[in-house]
Amino acid sequence: MEITTANRDGTIILSVAGRIDTATAPALEQAINKEIDGGNRKILLNFFAVTYISSGGLRVLLATAKKLKNPGDKYALCALTAEVNKILKLAGFTSIFSIYPSEGEALAGW
Amino acid sequence: MQGGDTPLNSLSWQPVPGAKRALIYPLIRKIDTTSSNSYLFQTDDVILLIDPGGLAEQSAQLALVIKEIREERDRPLFVFLTHAHLDHFIGTQSTPAFAHPDVAVFAVQEAGALALERGDGKLTQADLLGLNISPVRIALPLITEERSGFFSVPISLAFSNGATVTITREKTRGGLVTELIQFGCGPSLEVYHTPGHSPDSICIRMGGLLCIGDVLFAANPGIAGLCGWDQSALISSLYGIESLIAEGGIDFVLPGHGRVITAADIGRMFAAIRTDALELENIAELNQERSVETAAFAVDCMEQVNELFTIMAGRLYYVSYVMEELGEEDVAAEVSCLIKGDVIDELLEAFRSFADEHHKRSGVSIHLALKAGQVIAKLERSFDGAELAHIIDPALARRAARLLSDYTTMLRGFCPPRELAEYDLVRHLEALVTGLSIPSCSDDDLLSSDDEDSTFTRLLLRRIGMQPLLSDVAFTFSSAEKHLVAAFDHDDLTDLVTYILEDLVGTNADTITLQINRDDNNAIIILGGTGCTASDTIKTGAGFLKRLCDRAGGTLSYVTDSKGREYTIRIAGVF
Repeated sequence: MEITTANRDGTIILSVAGRIDTATAPALEQAINKEIDGGNRKILLNFFAVTYISSGGLRVLLATAKKLKNPGDKYALCALTAEVNKILKLAGFTSIFSIYPSEGEALAGW
Repeated sequence: MQGGDTPLNSLSWQPVPGAKRALIYPLIRKIDTTSSNSYLFQTDDVILLIDPGGLAEQSAQLALVIKEIREERDRPLFVFLTHAHLDHFIGTQSTPAFAHPDVAVFAVQEAGALALERGDGKLTQADLLGLNISPVRIALPLITEERSGFFSVPISLAFSNGATVTITREKTRGGLVTELIQFGCGPSLEVYHTPGHSPDSICIRMGGLLCIGDVLFAANPGIAGLCGWDQSALISSLYGIESLIAEGGIDFVLPGHGRVITAADIGRMFAAIRTDALELENIAELNQERSVETAAFAVDCMEQVNELFTIMAGRLYYVSYVMEELGEEDVAAEVSCLIKGDVIDELLEAFRSFADEHHKRSGVSIHLALKAGQVIAKLERSFDGAELAHIIDPALARRAARLLSDYTTMLRGFCPPRELAEYDLVRHLEALVTGLSIPSCSDDDLLSSDDEDSTFTRLLLRRIGMQPLLSDVAFTFSSAEKHLVAAFDHDDLTDLVTYILEDLVGTNADTITLQINRDDNNAIIILGGTGCTASDTIKTGAGFLKRLCDRAGGTLSYVTDSKGREYTIRIAGVF
């Protein structure tokens, strides 16, 4: 798994590529927490190249949602691959998170 | 290589109970399919190696120990095999110390001896593992037809390594054909013919130790059905070994794989093996063709299992999250503990890594099939479907359980059950999609629940956890006929249609239709979705769905284009 981080007008965009599994989910959590601990409260996860997400990965997504629920916080996912979208949808997660087709649409939407 | 806490220590010399001046050096390995345990004995007259194993390094390690004790006192070396399966001896073929017949005399039951002498790939399992074996000279065939008429008559044999042994065919003990082998004046070796796992399986006893080869695993999935496996012979052999142990004098049982077992514990294990063996009537032979097919099913099956378990765990986390938001932290914690997500993730990840490595190095199918069997047995213990069914869609846990069970069934040598019966297809599918469209717990259910907290909490959990699959999509069901009776497997068709609907919903179909038509004597079910995103999982899952459709009693085809995806299930023989 590879994570690249960018700041676009105060929104931290974490672009993730590869598999989010038992071995890599902690790295994703660390990367997100580093941003939140640094005071960044607008997080967009770009999953354009995530080919697989395990239950450990789903837990990281929920843990982040719990941390970013204050007024003014923003948290969304975008550019899900069909595989990841299916898991999130069937697990019921699409009703918790804001999910956008692309990075541009996400940033325009909040 | 140390095997753990055993009554005999691995890799050290210790006295053989009940055999004067005899020592044993066990080499006990963690259980795997590549190599057996080895047991090295020495007496004043002889060195005996039972099952040198399947790894060259193991044979080399044993050769070093043998060299050391021969330097102390040179004695002839005999290599006994509890049976001629590759994992018990192939390591010797690349170890020079065992290569020369004048150095080591090999002793194997006659059927195994014949197979080894001609380099037989079937009985040795070399074919199954895609390996070649060199013919092995067996100077001491055991329990031979030739000696069957000479009860209690000692026969002397001399060998090129200078050894002389006396073999005496004994009257059967516990129904087992027995030979007593005497090396000089020291303790003797008793050999019992115990076919079943293979025709040449033997148990070998010195004093209070009994080497039993692979009889403990003979009824296991992926082992039962190997070439030469015989159900009734196995059951008879189990009774025979049990009565031998019941006579007393045997302290420890030394299996071909895994830890040493006390004689007191073995009875319970044998009873379980017998129960398993009795269920294995008419199983298919586990040959290369079946192992390739099983390995392919393992990969398909594991992909689906992976998806189902991730969805189930995700649903529970979702419910837990919502309960936490509602201030019900205790309930949230209980819910998230219902499935061991970490354990499941690790198991599935371990299989994926194994499968990736397997495919990279063009591994042997039976290894992949057995690995999947191992993972599946652990997965089956990691979730409680009945408990989950109170909170999340019971069909998820049911499908996961059925997949795991189908795989185990196939690995055991049976076809997964296919129960074709006549049903009204229209009513069946209508009921299915209705169930997938309405919440299992309605607003009224919640509002009319009694005041007891636990009842309300249970209903609330169901309401949150069981989101109907088709609730947020424009779905249409239609049938050209009111009733259409056809023969299909009820459960498999239910699963198939559910998997397809999940694919369509999961890839964001805007509209989904299910149409039932009749074409002559065929029922045609068309499941279509528009606006679906392209998905590689659809391609990889196609083999799995086609296989499932075949078991359901139909055939499956699908087309996909920029507008959407359409699956067609054809069931022949409409009544």
